[in-house]
Parts: sequence; C-alpha cells; structure tokens
Amino acid sequence: MTNSEIPPTRILIIDDEAPFTRMVKLNMENAGNFLVETLNDSPRARVVAKEVEPNIILLDVVMPEADGGDVATMLRADDATKNIPIIFVSAMVSRRESNKGLYQSGGEYFLAKPVSSEILINAINQLLNM
Amino acid sequence: MSEFSPNSISVLPQHLLLLSADTHKESSLRAALSGAYELHHLDSLHQLTEFIALEGDCAALLLDLSIEKRIVIAAIDFLAQSEQPIALICWCEEPLQLKRFQQIVDRIDDYIFGESPVGSGLSIRIAHAIHKCRQQFKWLHEQQLLKALLDNIPDAIYFKDTKSQFIKVNQAMAKTFGEVEPEELLGKSGFDLFAEEHAETAYKDEQQIIETGKAIIGKVEKETLTDGSISWVTSTKLPLKGPCGEIIGTMGISRDITELKNVEETLADETSLLKTIIEHALASIYVKNRKGRYVIVNERHAKYLGAQCAADCIGKTLHDFFDPEESDRISTFDFEIIESGHSKENMIHQRTLPDGSCVWLLTSKVPLFNDAGQCTGLVGISQNITQQKKIELQLKSTIRNLEATRLQLIEAEKLKTVGRLAAGIAHEVKNPLSIVLLGIDYLIATRLHEKSEISGILGDMKQAVNKANDVVLELLDYSSPHEMNMVPTTINDTIEHVLTLMRHNLKEGGIHFVDERSAGLPDVLIDAAKLDQVFINLILNAISVMPDGGELIIRTSNKRLNKAGPNVSAAITEHFRIGDTMVIVEIIDSGTGIAEENRTKVFDPFFSTKTTGEGTGLGLSVTRSIVEIHRGMITLENRKDRKGACARLLFPTSYKP
Repeated sequence: MTNSEIPPTRILIIDDEAPFTRMVKLNMENAGNFLVETLNDSPRARVVAKEVEPNIILLDVVMPEADGGDVATMLRADDATKNIPIIFVSAMVSRRESNKGLYQSGGEYFLAKPVSSEILINAINQLLNM
Repeated sequence: MSEFSPNSISVLPQHLLLLSADTHKESSLRAALSGAYELHHLDSLHQLTEFIALEGDCAALLLDLSIEKRIVIAAIDFLAQSEQPIALICWCEEPLQLKRFQQIVDRIDDYIFGESPVGSGLSIRIAHAIHKCRQQFKWLHEQQLLKALLDNIPDAIYFKDTKSQFIKVNQAMAKTFGEVEPEELLGKSGFDLFAEEHAETAYKDEQQIIETGKAIIGKVEKETLTDGSISWVTSTKLPLKGPCGEIIGTMGISRDITELKNVEETLADETSLLKTIIEHALASIYVKNRKGRYVIVNERHAKYLGAQCAADCIGKTLHDFFDPEESDRISTFDFEIIESGHSKENMIHQRTLPDGSCVWLLTSKVPLFNDAGQCTGLVGISQNITQQKKIELQLKSTIRNLEATRLQLIEAEKLKTVGRLAAGIAHEVKNPLSIVLLGIDYLIATRLHEKSEISGILGDMKQAVNKANDVVLELLDYSSPHEMNMVPTTINDTIEHVLTLMRHNLKEGGIHFVDERSAGLPDVLIDAAKLDQVFINLILNAISVMPDGGELIIRTSNKRLNKAGPNVSAAITEHFRIGDTMVIVEIIDSGTGIAEENRTKVFDPFFSTKTTGEGTGLGLSVTRSIVEIHRGMITLENRKDRKGACARLLFPTSYKP
C-alpha cells in the first residue's frame, strides 16, 4: 500500500498533555493513512489549524489556558476553520458515556478518555464518512 | 351599829388606860367602872408608850385634859400613829377646858365632864366610844384600800348621777382625756368629752340602766374623742344605788383594749390577705394535719381532688378521693415529711386524675411547726405544668430532629466534597491512563507482540488500565451529586454494580459471598446512584458485624402481594396494593444479630453499635430515607435459621413518580 496514491487523512490533535498527543500520533500513523499534527499550546489552535488544514480536529476539554470550549468557539468563528469537524476527547465523562465509542451530546461529538487506538480510529472514520 | 350593846363587850376585861396626874380621879373612876374594865393609871407619856408597846392590846385611853397641853397633844398624836384602834375619851372638868384643844377635837371619840364620873352610864359610854373607834378604824382601812384601787387600777372607773354627769372618776379615767385631774371632770357628761355619736349611745345605755336597773356587762365599745382619736374599750356599767336601794345613777368600769383590737384587726387583715392569696394563686394549695386530714384547701385543689367545693374537702383524707394504692403511696410520702421535718421541693411527677386525664405537676411540700417546735402537718403547693411539659417534649423532639438534619447535611456536604474531589481525581487519573493505554496499543501494533510472553504482558497491562478506569468511574458515579433520576432498572444490575465496588472490602473482610439472585425479575423504577448507596451501606454494615469473616448472602426475588403482612405499616400500605408485584432484596449476614433492646432503634438517626468515631449512626437512617423515597420498605431482623441478621428491602413495581 502506497500512501502517495491516496492522500493521508490530516488530523490535528490539541491537548496540553504532550505524552498523550505523542501517543495518539504514534498509534494513528502506525495504524493507517493518517498524518497527525499535535498542538499542546491551545491558544495557538486557530493559527495552527489554518496552517495544517486538518480533515478533523481532536480537542481536549480541560486545558489550562484556553479550554476545549474556547478553542472550538475560536475555530468556528473563522471562515477558514469553521467547517472542520471536531471530536472532543474528555476525561470528565461518567460510566454511562464511556465505552460507547463516539457519542453525541448537545450537538457535539465526544470520546471518553482513556481511549484505545481502535476506538479512536473507528470514531474518526465514522465521522469522516458521514 | 347593831353590834353595840353591853352584851357585846368581851368577857375578858379590856385594858382601859387613864393618863392623869390626879390619883383622886383614878379612884373615882375605878369606883364608877365597878370592874367592867381593867384600869391602868399612867402618869406620864413615857408610861403610855411603854404600856402600848408591851401590852399592845388596849381598848381606850382616858385622857385628863388637866395635864400639860404638850403631853395631851403628844398622847393624841401617838394614838393616831398606833396600828390599833384605841378609843380616845377626854376628861374635862368643865367644857370650857376644851377650847384649848380646838385642833384635836376631830380625833376625840367621847368626853367625860365633871370632877368625877357618875354612875353606871359610864361603862356604856366607854364601850360605845371603843366600838365607834373600831368601826371608824375599819372604815378608814377599807377607804384606804378602795382609794388605792381607784388610784392605781389602769381601768377607768366612774360614777355618774341620773343625768349621766360624773360624780366621781378615778385617775385612769381622767388620764383618758390627757393631763386632766379627776376633779376637773366632775359635773361633766359624756357629751362634753366624747364625739356626739358615742356620747349619745353611752347616754342611752345609762338611762336604760337607770330605768331598768339592769347592768351592761363587758360591752365592746368604740370611743371617739372630740379630737377624733379612736380607742376601743370593754365597758361594764351598773346601776348606782342609794342607801335605800333606790337608783341614784350609774357606775362603770372601762378597760382600754385598743391595742388588743388593733392586733385583732391586723390579724384579721392578714388572715383575709392570706385567704385571698391562697384562693387566687394559680396553684393548688392545701394544708394537712398530722393525720393527713385536710385543714385548708383552696378551690383549685378541691377541683383537682374532684370535690364540689373546698369546704367539702375539709376533714377528709386522700382516701376519700384517690384509690387506696395511690392514697397509701402519697400518705407514706407525706408522713416522711412530717416525721423528718424536712421539706420536699419542686418535685415533678405525673398523676392520673379521678376523671382519667393525665397531668404533670410541680409540687413542693413543707412541714408545719407549732410554737413548741412540733410538726403539726404540712403545706403543699402544686402547679399544673402539663402544658409546659408538652412544649418541653415537643422542643426536645424538634431539637433531636434538627440535630439529625444538621448531621445529615454535614454528611451530604461531605459527599459533595468527595464528589468534587472525585471529578478532579478522575481527570488526573484518566489522562495518564489514556497515555498508558495508547502506549500499550502502540506496542501491540508493533512487532514486539510477536513474542508471546510480551503479548501476554501487554494484554494484562491493558486489562489493568481498564480496571483502574472502572474504579475511577465508579467513584465518579457514586459521589457526583444527582437529582432524583428515576429509571426503570433491573435491580440485579444495580447490585452487580455495587459488588464491583465492594469486591475489595469483601475480600479483605474474609467474607464468603453467596449469590442467590433470581433471574427474570421485573424492572423497578429507581435512582441507580441512590440505590447504590443503600446497598453499599447495607453491605458495609454486614461486613462490620463479621469482624472475623463470615458469609454474606444476597438474595433477590419477586412476589405478588396477597395480603398486607404485619410488618407493613399503615404509611407504607398505600404503596403496596394487593395484587401488586414486589421485588425483594435480602442481604443476609452471619454476624452476631441484633440485640433485643436495639431492635426498635436501629433505624433511628445516630443509633450505632460501633465504637464512637467508627460510624455516624446515620447509615441506616439515610438508607431508610432513600428506600422510602422509592416508596419501598426496609426491615432489619434476626435470621431464623442461624445467628445473623437479614435486611429485607421491598420495592413496588407499580410505582410511578
């Protein structure tokens, strides 16, 4: 399988935990035709998103400077980034919501931490194929 | 007067003294007396005083006025001072001789004239003089006594004429009107001395006595003087009779009893005041004598005894009002107070009244002593404090409820805090778990996993991460604040959920778990998070009563309700209708069971058999509240098959919030 024939799916993951973003990048790029860009400094999200032009953004909810909600608002306020689908990845999830894989709440897509690489890839494919 | 006759002269001849310088007179006298008297001739004053001092008994002295005037006067003065009546007969040779003795004629009882006394008449004259002298002496003596009495007695004594004017009053009477001499009152009447009203009454009384001759004895009179001052007297008034028995006025004696009257009035005032206080006091007041008979009873106490009025109680005892047992009990108690002389104060006790009602009383009983220090009975004062007692009980219950609520609030606050902490913990734990999990995923995806042992290790690690995640999620679920979120739930799932959390506790406690859950139970409408707490509490309790390990059985079943059992209280009955299906959960331990004395208390807030510090005593109370919110019911009883307790929960399946 050659990656040059089909352009890889570009993913931007925004999370203040660098080991986490690194792990996501490793797993995804190892598992499929993904190009994962990581960002640990959430206030820079819009600039980076414009630069990377990702197909999908994975966004942590609880972050120190600009949290997930702020980042999403920022991206959606910009015409260049407003249509990029976002999956929130959160640890603040109860048992009822975890183990479900991708789920919707209040019009947003969510994944519960800890997330396995399998669930993550399934969720991304599921959303991009919609 | 009638006593006078020659026969009355005593048989023994009386001593007759003759003081004269003339021996011729002596012989002529002796001849004239012819032995009727024993005659002693004395020729000096000295002889006279000596004779009287030695012989004493001397009837008369014949004094010859021819002797020296000085001696005559001295002899008469001597007689006047004598303590015995000695008649004084003066012998004048001629009447003109008497002119020399004008100052002493009053004292002379009789005279003999001429140079020699004549014939038998002399003895009679001497006898007469002796008699008169003795009478006068006697009268004088009586007069002195009477005067002493009148002058010194503190009672007012007076004599009035028929016009009610004073003819004689004594010192005490005069004193009534201030610094007044008795003589100043003579001729005055009551109208001059007393206020008109009193004077009028006294006047009428006196006129009546004069008219009827009847005395007024011991009449109590109020005397108002003209200056307005008031005194009280007891007055006795008698008719004053003349020599022939005719009424010539009145006489009376009055004793001032103002002070006595004042004391009496003060006493009457005090008695009346005391009566008013006793009658109007908001308490039962009574006095009993040593024999337990009522001496004083106020109306309030009479009502308490069930009597018609206070007068009905006097002289009666407790046995007339209460049953024998109660009467004996109180009487014994009263007797102790009387015997010991010690009062019993502020005793609070409950009493059933003759009408069957129950009252709370605050009673004090005090022994009564007479002047001699002997206990004569007791005084009792009882206040009905039923209302206060009711309020006190209500207050106690309110305070208890408040305390329970406060601790429940503290507990709730604690849970909230745990909830807030749990959220943070979840976030902090899940992030590293995420990294570990993705790390494992990556390792599995690489060639490393081709080595089978590494593959196994990675599998174990992944399982461990998932398990850790599970625990964090449970904690989050249990502690996060929930609104009531009633969802139809299979109760077996809820129990499963709790068992996941408790597995560690069971293992650590050495508890063998026996699962007797029945499959196919109908769903019940519950808040899973709240019911988690119920099962956790019950299981923790079960574990705590089996410190050396044991067996925990959890049994579930369902049952159609055919009849309301004895354990189903009225309040709960409305949630369980006959024909309804109930889901029953039984949590059974093999511990020590519930002590008989604790059976009714286990669901009370703060009841705990654990050592202080180990439990709040709220667990079962909160548990019951949660069960009741679900319209369910919980009982905790001892097992019948062996030692241990069984908590039984019933949930209606028909309940719709």
